[in-house]
Amino acid sequence: MSVFGGIGFTAPWLLLALLALPILWLILRAVPPAPIRRRFPGVALLLGLTDDESTTDRTPWWLLLLRMLAVAAIIVGLAGPVLNPQAEPEQGNGPLLMVLDSSWAGASGWDRQLAAVEAQLTRAGRAERTVGILTLTDPQVPTFQSADAWRSRLAGLTPAPWQPSPAEIARAAEIMADLPTFDTMWFSDGLDYAGRNDLLETLQAKGAVEVHQSASNVIGIAPAVYQDGAIDLTLRRATPGPERKAVVQAQGRDPAGNARVLATATATFEAGATEATTSLSLPAELRARLTSFDIAGQRSAGARTLVDDGLRRREVALIGGRGAQEGLQLLSPLHYIEQALAPNADLIDGTLTDVLPANPDVIVLADVATLAPAEAEPLQEWIGAGGMLIRFAGPRIAASDVSRMDEDPLMPVRLRAGGRSVGGAMSWGEPKALAPFRNGSPFFGLPVPDDVTVSAQVVAQPDPTLADRVIASLSDGTPLVTRKAVGQGQIVLFHVTATAEWSTLPLSGLFVQMMERLAVSSGASTPEADSLDGTTWTPLRVMDGYGTLADAGNLPGVAGPDLISAPAGPALPTGIYGSEDRRLARNVLTQETALTPASWPADVPLRGLALPAEQPLAGALLSLAIILLVADVLASLALSGLLLRRSSGTLALLIVIGLAPQGAKAQDSDRESFAVRAASEVTLAHVLTGNREVDEIARAGLTGLSDTLYFRTSVEPALPTGVDLEQDELAFFPILYWPITPDQPQPSTEAYGKLNDYLRSGGLILFDTRDADIASYGASSPNGRKLQELAAPLDIPPLEPLPGDHVLTRTFYLLQDYPGRYSSRDVWVEAAPPDAEKIEGMPFRNLNDGVTPVVIGGNDWAAAWAVRRDGGPLLPIGRGFAGERQRELAYRFGVNLVMHVLTGNYKSDQVHVPALLDRLGQ
Amino acid sequence: MTHSPLSLRADAEGEAARLPALLARAEHLAGAVLPGAHGRRRAGSGDDFWQYRPAQIGDSRRMVDHRRSARGDQEFVREREWQIAQSVMLWVDQGASMRFASDKGLPDKADRARLLGLALAILLLRGGERVGLTGTALPPRRGNPQILRLAEMLCREDTREYAPPEHRGMIPHARAIFISDFMGDLAPVQTALTKAADRGVRGVLYHLLDPAEEAFPFTGRTIFESVGGTLRHETLKANDLRDRYLDRLAARKDELQQLCARTGWRYGLHHTDASAQSALLWLYGALDARQGSTA
Repeated sequence: MSVFGGIGFTAPWLLLALLALPILWLILRAVPPAPIRRRFPGVALLLGLTDDESTTDRTPWWLLLLRMLAVAAIIVGLAGPVLNPQAEPEQGNGPLLMVLDSSWAGASGWDRQLAAVEAQLTRAGRAERTVGILTLTDPQVPTFQSADAWRSRLAGLTPAPWQPSPAEIARAAEIMADLPTFDTMWFSDGLDYAGRNDLLETLQAKGAVEVHQSASNVIGIAPAVYQDGAIDLTLRRATPGPERKAVVQAQGRDPAGNARVLATATATFEAGATEATTSLSLPAELRARLTSFDIAGQRSAGARTLVDDGLRRREVALIGGRGAQEGLQLLSPLHYIEQALAPNADLIDGTLTDVLPANPDVIVLADVATLAPAEAEPLQEWIGAGGMLIRFAGPRIAASDVSRMDEDPLMPVRLRAGGRSVGGAMSWGEPKALAPFRNGSPFFGLPVPDDVTVSAQVVAQPDPTLADRVIASLSDGTPLVTRKAVGQGQIVLFHVTATAEWSTLPLSGLFVQMMERLAVSSGASTPEADSLDGTTWTPLRVMDGYGTLADAGNLPGVAGPDLISAPAGPALPTGIYGSEDRRLARNVLTQETALTPASWPADVPLRGLALPAEQPLAGALLSLAIILLVADVLASLALSGLLLRRSSGTLALLIVIGLAPQGAKAQDSDRESFAVRAASEVTLAHVLTGNREVDEIARAGLTGLSDTLYFRTSVEPALPTGVDLEQDELAFFPILYWPITPDQPQPSTEAYGKLNDYLRSGGLILFDTRDADIASYGASSPNGRKLQELAAPLDIPPLEPLPGDHVLTRTFYLLQDYPGRYSSRDVWVEAAPPDAEKIEGMPFRNLNDGVTPVVIGGNDWAAAWAVRRDGGPLLPIGRGFAGERQRELAYRFGVNLVMHVLTGNYKSDQVHVPALLDRLGQ
Repeated sequence: MTHSPLSLRADAEGEAARLPALLARAEHLAGAVLPGAHGRRRAGSGDDFWQYRPAQIGDSRRMVDHRRSARGDQEFVREREWQIAQSVMLWVDQGASMRFASDKGLPDKADRARLLGLALAILLLRGGERVGLTGTALPPRRGNPQILRLAEMLCREDTREYAPPEHRGMIPHARAIFISDFMGDLAPVQTALTKAADRGVRGVLYHLLDPAEEAFPFTGRTIFESVGGTLRHETLKANDLRDRYLDRLAARKDELQQLCARTGWRYGLHHTDASAQSALLWLYGALDARQGSTA
């Protein structure tokens, strides 16, 4: 490319053609304008008159100039001018490797980064360099191929919710080692990480390195900490800068379970500071519903921190045996457990009947033997609904007959009478120590201190189920802690007292850890790695680089210590992990993580992302040439007097069209006439998707269906209409046909409000994924996924595949198939009420008292319905007669559907006719 | 030329549709002119009452007016005013050169000529005159049916580029009206006029021109073609021809006027952009003027 004064030309030699312009001028000047033929009766008088001079009427100079300009514009346009051609100082010829950090830090500006990558790809493509792309967060061996091939794949690059880990850097370095020399363009996210300088050296050894880095600052939020009744939030930024405010949003669920912002707080970075703190004081009820905190306006995983049990304080009700004497606090059966739980749980005191209505998470019964039936029954219900009952043994239990012969519903095991004592004054042997915890026990991995001894306990009766229920045992194998699941809850029995009377367990740190493991108390906001030894955590929700949460699917579990200490990576995605009842969040930032900006050596050229975009001018110039040529045509016509005589009307029309103002008033009246039109007759409507072809087929399809309705039924619809969800009122339409395209825009919140109103007030939406692929319910096709996205905010009841006795099968025609262009049978409608039953003597159940608000299928009905202007079918369906039959059935389905919408459960009511007649007869 | 039955029918209907329109327009135009009295001021054959006179010997019984006679003993005869009808002969140029209009808003010359001719005929027929065409095709007659015949004849088009005036079958001492653009050869006009003058026929030479023919607003390289397409003239600079063309046109008008002066005819000039009403008034007046008066 050669550059003249800021404009570059891709084919500069073409400019030589400009030299031919003067010659063209002379030629054009000499050619007389074409003669005009005129009818003129007076020609008889002209006969014999000769022209005075033989020279011709010359083309006016300005017309010539116009033509010259047009030709010049064509020549320059074809020469390929480019405005702001990017100076390419050391554009090499060899392969080019684009290295992307692709971490969460770049997620907020990912679009800009991709645009920059694309601009560089364009450059490289012009230089005909092969390009490879390497993302450091997920290094793969790059294939060097043409820039155009990469450009189409750019959209597939997404930032990862972690920084390149040392292992990944090592892998990247390994990959580089095998590659021949290349130049490097490094798109940095602006954050430093371990191994970056080593990688830079490796790259510099291979060729020139150029770094592109956005100038915007990286902001992150550290995990929230609950302290002194408030939630402390710490925000960090990479580089100190001017004072800046950031709004932190507390995301959670409202009582109805919908996601919303529960509270906001503003944190202010002081000028020059890299850390800002704020705190939120939320009531416990609200705190329990928090899911995450994020920084408004940022879209990265680092700007969101997920909330786990650290913020949740469980409510624990402590109930001791009767007769706790005053003054003997250390002997109180609840003293040690209170001490163990107080820092991390809310304790409730009271009698069982008082406590149960408060629905605590855990109830601790310390040496309580028998419960009155009035207490036991609600307690059982509470456990079945998910409560956790923890019981401690003691002299009373040992002395009672509870769970002696039959297993008590509130006890995990049967107990032997009297219990046993070892190592006491009246017995043989040493006090027993604890055996290491078995794999499968919630305590697995906890270290067993030597000083924990048990001198007395209640003993479980051997049972077939006993082995499953033991979660901790003594060194001689006697169960120490047993557990059984009841409904959604569980009952745990410690076979020793909650005091130091029978064992030293309550005195040890193990006791606190056991309580944590049982999720009775949640530990510190970040548990120590070794306290999670032996636990396995399954990911429940994972967070991508943008901070969006998604279901984890079938990701494998993670060992507890790794969850805390290992760096995040493909094997350890950020997100929420669960183990039994506990929830732990793996966030991008921890309390300690500091954001350090990446610093590059002085010899590495560093560029911003915002280069002035190259602007090819060829299109504009060629358009200009066309405009000039059109002007030339008009001017020539005007010169020869043809313009004003013949086409003045046309010209005026053109001008009027060009200048016609699109006033707001016109729109208003448009909206009004739209409403009048739609409301005055039954009108079928389809949602405009923005894809012209799909919209056109939907319109033609509804036209075909309207015609069919008109000919066959008493429904006489007007011409169908397309509706814009954002602007048009939906209430006028009985049915909305919504074809799904993968690229249609997501409706706004207001539009969803309208749609939900529409569905609640009796409207019906026919979703059509048009891919016959609803069988696998969604996710396998892009249309299905889009449908899920589109329909997520809609108020849609539970669905089921269209049952054979649904009223839709007999509103007009008797149908058992619902084909469109495809004939998949999977059509989903609102599920029948669970109590729907077949009435005696009736062939079908009385279902759906009302109209199903949605019908979901993928049979591309509009294509089967679609007609041309002349009434013939627009698209071929199937083959031969079978295809025509399928089209006919598609029409019948459409007729049934419209009848269903318009008549509701009327046909369903018909099933009562025999019964009514019968009754009348009596 | 072969017509399919459909197109023939369509053409025929189109042609037929022109007649009533022309008639209606002509009637409308004629309705605006009140015919003056045309009596001879003495008893004779006519429709209007003149006087009662006593019956004389020789009067047939049938002539006795019984209403008047019954008032007395004497018998009276009712005399009517003597009215004579004048024969008026029309020649409307139907040549191809007449089918020209320079602008969409203007009627073509043939249309205007036809309208004026028929309107004048209607006026005259209402006044009791006999109106016909020159030549032998439609001799002068009276009465309303003649209007229809005239209309039909006037709608026939001549394929010749410039039609010469028809001068056969001139009735002596009749009146004649020639309406044309006189763009063709003037010799037949001269022949016609001298022949008419020989027979004592007087009349009006009505020169009908399109405004473009009067103004010649053309520029640039142009090929002029006659309407029939037989004549053509090419020029590189049409605007240069303008003055010479206008000279020739003026000479032609002058010649026509002189011809009229010699033969006792009247010369009138009309442009199609002027109103047909004024043209009709002028024509009627020119025709009604006493014999001998000249333009």
